[in-house]
Amino acid sequence: MSHDVTITPLETQALFDLRGPATVLRDWAGDSLPAFPQRPNTGSSNGRATLMFLGPDHWILRADLAREDAFEAALRPVAAPPEISIVRISDTLAFFRIIGPEAGEILSIACPLDLHPRCFGHDAASFTAAFGIKALVIRCEGGFELAVDRSYLPMMTECLTAAAG
Amino acid sequence: MAGKRLAKGGRIDHDRPLRFTFNGRAYSGLAGDTLASALLANGLRLTARSFKYHRPRGIVGAGVEEPSALVELTGADAAGNLQATTVPLTDGLEARSVNCWPSPAFDLGAVAQLAGRFIPAGFYYKTFKWPNWQLYAPAIRRAAGLAAAPRTPPAEGRYEARYGHCDLLIAGAGPAGLMAAQVAARAGLRVMIVDEGTEPGGALLSRRLQIAGAPALQWVEEAVAELAALPDVIHLQQATVWACREHNYLMATERAPERPGLMERSWRIRAGHVITATGAMERAIPFGNNDRPGVMLASAVQSYVNRYAVLPGRRAVIFANNNSAYAVAADLLAAGGQVVAIIDSRADVPEAARALVPQLTVRAGHVVISAHGARALRGVRIAPLAGGPEETLACDLLAVSGGWNPAVHLWSQSRSTLRYDEALAAFLPDRPAQAFSAAGAAAGAFALEDALRSGAEVAARIANVAVPEIPDAQDLPYAIAPHWRVEAARGKAFLDLQNDVTVDDVHLALREGYSDVELVKRYTTAGMGIDQGKTGNVNVIGTVALARGLEPGAVGTTTFRAPWTPVSFGAIAGMRDGQLALPWRHTPVTQWNLDRGAVMYEAGARWRRPGYFPRPGETMQEAVDRECRAVRFGVGVYDGSPLGKFELKGRCVGRFLDFLYSNIMSSLTPGNGRYGLMLSDDGLIMDDGVCFRLDAGRWMISTSTGHAEAIHSHMEEQLQMRCPGWNVLITPVTSQWTNATICGPQARAVMEALGTDIDLSPEAFPFMSLRDGHVAGLPARVVRVSFTGELSFEVNVAPRHMRELWDRVMEAGADFGILPVGSEASHVLRVEKGFLSLGHEVDGTVDAHDLGMGWVMSRKKDDYLGKRAVAIRRAGSHGGAGRRELVGVLPEPDCPIPEGAPLTPGGRREATEGFVTACVWSVVQERWVGLALLENGHARQGETAYVRLKGGAVIPVRVSAPCHYDPDGQRLRS
Repeated sequence: MSHDVTITPLETQALFDLRGPATVLRDWAGDSLPAFPQRPNTGSSNGRATLMFLGPDHWILRADLAREDAFEAALRPVAAPPEISIVRISDTLAFFRIIGPEAGEILSIACPLDLHPRCFGHDAASFTAAFGIKALVIRCEGGFELAVDRSYLPMMTECLTAAAG
Repeated sequence: MAGKRLAKGGRIDHDRPLRFTFNGRAYSGLAGDTLASALLANGLRLTARSFKYHRPRGIVGAGVEEPSALVELTGADAAGNLQATTVPLTDGLEARSVNCWPSPAFDLGAVAQLAGRFIPAGFYYKTFKWPNWQLYAPAIRRAAGLAAAPRTPPAEGRYEARYGHCDLLIAGAGPAGLMAAQVAARAGLRVMIVDEGTEPGGALLSRRLQIAGAPALQWVEEAVAELAALPDVIHLQQATVWACREHNYLMATERAPERPGLMERSWRIRAGHVITATGAMERAIPFGNNDRPGVMLASAVQSYVNRYAVLPGRRAVIFANNNSAYAVAADLLAAGGQVVAIIDSRADVPEAARALVPQLTVRAGHVVISAHGARALRGVRIAPLAGGPEETLACDLLAVSGGWNPAVHLWSQSRSTLRYDEALAAFLPDRPAQAFSAAGAAAGAFALEDALRSGAEVAARIANVAVPEIPDAQDLPYAIAPHWRVEAARGKAFLDLQNDVTVDDVHLALREGYSDVELVKRYTTAGMGIDQGKTGNVNVIGTVALARGLEPGAVGTTTFRAPWTPVSFGAIAGMRDGQLALPWRHTPVTQWNLDRGAVMYEAGARWRRPGYFPRPGETMQEAVDRECRAVRFGVGVYDGSPLGKFELKGRCVGRFLDFLYSNIMSSLTPGNGRYGLMLSDDGLIMDDGVCFRLDAGRWMISTSTGHAEAIHSHMEEQLQMRCPGWNVLITPVTSQWTNATICGPQARAVMEALGTDIDLSPEAFPFMSLRDGHVAGLPARVVRVSFTGELSFEVNVAPRHMRELWDRVMEAGADFGILPVGSEASHVLRVEKGFLSLGHEVDGTVDAHDLGMGWVMSRKKDDYLGKRAVAIRRAGSHGGAGRRELVGVLPEPDCPIPEGAPLTPGGRREATEGFVTACVWSVVQERWVGLALLENGHARQGETAYVRLKGGAVIPVRVSAPCHYDPDGQRLRS
C-alpha cells in the first residue's frame, strides 16, 4: 500500500436498529443501553456497547457479536411498545477498520463528509456515502471505521484496497 | 533560427539538458522548460496549423491562455490537444502538431486557405444540412485534424478522485493569493490554496519586480514556506480549480500529485468561502494576418525571457495600447534583445511608461495594420491611427498587448455578476452570488502593491482580523486606451485564433441578425472549445460594441462554462475504472455460483446474480430448459436474497399499508400475507410484492429487487408529507434476511429431508403464510410464496447462515435431482404463468386493469394512492378503450420473437398497437410462448395479431390469456 494505513475487515457485529422517542426507548431498555447521546451523529459507550444517534428518533446499538443474544433478551423486540421499534440488524452491515497516519486520506477518497477533527470529533458517527454507496462512518482510535451493506463487502474491499494504492 | 537560449537566468536548470522529439525530429531543452519554451529555444516558429483554415500557427502565449500551439503527446504520455505552453518538458517526451498532415510545414489541409473567403462562419451549418448534418460531421471533424483521444489507457499509473473541505479556498498562488492565504491561515482558518502553475508566484515568475526591497520571488518563497509550516493549510501546485457548482462546491485537478504512481488527482471541494486570485490574461489587438508565427502576446515574450531564458525573436516590434508592454520592452533590452520600435495606438503615452525605455522609438498614435511572412513573421506594416503614410518594419517578433482581462471564469461560474470598468477596459467581478470574493489582478488590481493589498484586505474581512501591513512593491501604474480592432487591417484579422474566428465573421453574424453576444458566439464559435475565450472573448465583445454603437458593458459577456482548462476523463473518474466503474453486490452464495460456472450478470439494484448454470458443451437455451424442467417436474432452488425487505412497526402500520397498496392489508392476521401492488400518484404500477403480518404490531413487506431503495424513499416520503404523525417505524432488513427458495413438486420432500420443526402440511402451512422456526437446525423464517407457479418454500436465514443452508439444501435435494436455478429460468417460469415483471410488462404506462388485475384494486377502501387517478382515467370519454392490455401470444408458426418487437395492425408499416414484452421456450407447452401489451387486448383473445420485425418480416401471433400454465394455481397452492 502506498498509503500508510491498515485496513481490517471486522467480524460481524451485534447491531440493533432502535427507532422512536429516546424517552420511551430509555424507559423500555432500562440499564441495558449506554446513555443516549445528546448530539446527532455522535455515539456513547458504556464499555459493553455503543449507542449511535444517527437520525431523528433513530439509533443503532453496536456490540460484540457474543452479546447479541443477551441484548436481544434484554431489549425484548417483539414485546416492545408500539411507539418504538427494535430490530436486530447484525447481518446488514459489514465493518472495516481503517487506521494509521493516512487513514484520513483513504476516507477522503471514499467519502464526501468533512472528517476534520473540528467537524467530526472523537465520538462522531454518521451515515454518509463511501465510493457512492451508503455507508456509516465512525471515528475510532487511530482512524475510522466504515460500515456498508453486507452485500457490498467484496466491492468495498476492492475499493479500499485500490484507494490505499 | 529566430529563437535563442540565453546563457543564464530564468527559472530553468542550465545544467540539466532534456531530450525530446517534436514531429519526429530530435531536440533538446532544459529542466524547467515547457514544451513551448523548448521549441522557441530551438528556433521553431511553426508549431501547428489552425483548426479551420489550416493557416500556419506558432506559439502565442506562455500559459493556459495559449490558443494556437496545440500538440498531441504520443508514447507513454499519450494525450491529445494539449497546449504546448502547459506541457512541462520531460526527458524523452514525444510530441507532434495537430491540425496538419503530414507536417505543419507541408500540410495538405492548407488547401482550405485557397477557399477561405468562401467558408466564413456558419458555412458548414448552412451547406451540409441535407439530408442531415450528422452525415457529414465525422468527415468534417476528421478533416479539422484535432488529435483523437489515446486508444489505450496509460500503461502505468492510476488516477484518483477525492474530497476536500476548507474554510477558505484560494484559487491562485500569485501575490494576491499568497497574501490572502497568509492572512487567513495566520487567523486559524482551514485554507486550501490551489495554483495551476508549475511553481507558485503567478505573474511574478515572469517579471523582474521587488517586494520589500528584495526580489519578489524571495517573498514568494518565504510566504510558501510559512504556509507549509502552518496547520490546516493545503497547498496544491500544478492544480487547477476548473469548475464551481452550487454552495461553493468546486472541482480541482492536480496534474502532478507527489504520491508515487498517481498520474492525476481530482478534488471535489466544499469551501466555506472562495477567493478568486486567478490573475489576468493579456489580450491581443486584431490586425491583418495577426496569426502569423512570430506574433505573440507581450506578456508571453516577457515570460520566455525572464522565466525560461529564451529570446523568442532577434528583432522585436511591440504593439500596445497600454503601459504594461513597456516593461516587456525593458526586459527584452535587458536580455540583449533588439527592439525596433514600440507602436502605441495611444496618442498620449504616459511619461512613466516611456521612462522605462527612454532609448526606444515610440510611435504614438500608430497601429500595426498587417503582418508579413508566410510560415514566420518577416515584418509588420504600420500606419498612423488617424490615417497617413504606411511604413514597413522588418522584424521576426511582434509582441502585442491589447490590455488585460481579469480571469473571471471561476467567478462567473459561481453565477456571480460582472461589470464593465471603463478605466481598465475590462470586465471585473461585481456582485457575488455565493460566498465568493476576488483579489489581485482578478479583481482589477493590476499593479503589484495593489494586488498584495487586495489579497490581504479580502482575507482579513473573511477571517475577521485586522489588515496587516502591506510590503512596498514598486510597479508601473496601469493605464490603457482600448483599441478593439484595427480598422485599416489588411488580411484576415483574427479575434479567436483557436476557432479561426475573424472580425469579418463577427460582422457577418451581426448582419444576419445574430446581434446578441451569445448568438454571435454560437454563430461564429468564438470562445468555444479548449480556449473558452481566454484571449479573444473581450475583443469579440469590443468588436460587437463598435459595430452596434454600444459600450462593451452594454454588450455583456457570454456565459463562462466549466472546465476552465481541459481535464482528463481519467482524473474525473478517479478509481472508477474497470471492475470498480459501477457498484456491485453479492450474496453469501455468489462464490458458490461462480465455482459452478454460473454466468453472472446484474439483476437490478447492482446485484450480480447467476443467469444460468451451463454444463460443459451446453448452450444457454439447453441450460435454461434443464433448469426449468427441474422446477416444473422435480425441484430447483434459487437464491432470492436480493428482494427488498422491510419491517414495519407501529399502531398505524395497517392503515399505512392500506394507503400504500391498492388492496387491503390491514385485515391480515398474524402469520399470513397477501400479494399487492403499489401505485404511483397517477395510478400506474410502481411496484409489486408481498406483505405479511408478523404479529399485532409488526409487519414485513417485500419489494422488487430493483425498487427496494426507491420504495423505501417512497414510504418515508409518504410518512413525512402525507401521513405526518402516523405511528409507523420502518427498518430496512433486505440484508438481514437471505433466502434459498426451494420450488417444484418435490419441494416439500426436500424440506422434510432438510429437517424442520415447522409443520409443512398444506393445512398447517398454506400458501401465502409465514412460519418462524428452524430448518436444517438453523433459525429460519419460512414463507410460502411462489414466483414460479410451483409449490415453493422461501427459507430465510441470517446471511451468516446462508452458505450453510445452501449446502444443506443441495445435499438434501441431491436425491431428488435438485438443480440451482438462474434468473433466465425464473424468467421463463414466470412468463409461463403470466406473472408480471417490472421492466417488462410494467413499463410505467400500465395500471392494474391493463394487466387484468382489477381484482387487486380494492372497492372497499375510501382512498389509497393512485385510486382517484385510475378512476378518473377510466371514467373519461374513452374509458379503458384503446389502452394496451396484457395478453398471451403464441407465435404461428412456432418461433421466437425478440422482446420489445412491435405489434402493428395487420403487420403493416403503421403506428404500433403494442409490443411483445417477453417470449420464451416453454418446457411444459413445448413451444414458444409470450406476453404482450396490445391495444384492447383483453377483448381480442382468440384473434390473430401481427409482430412486425425490423426489416419488415411479419410473424402472426395468436392472442391468448396471459397465463400459459396452471391457470387455476393448483400447483402453487399444493
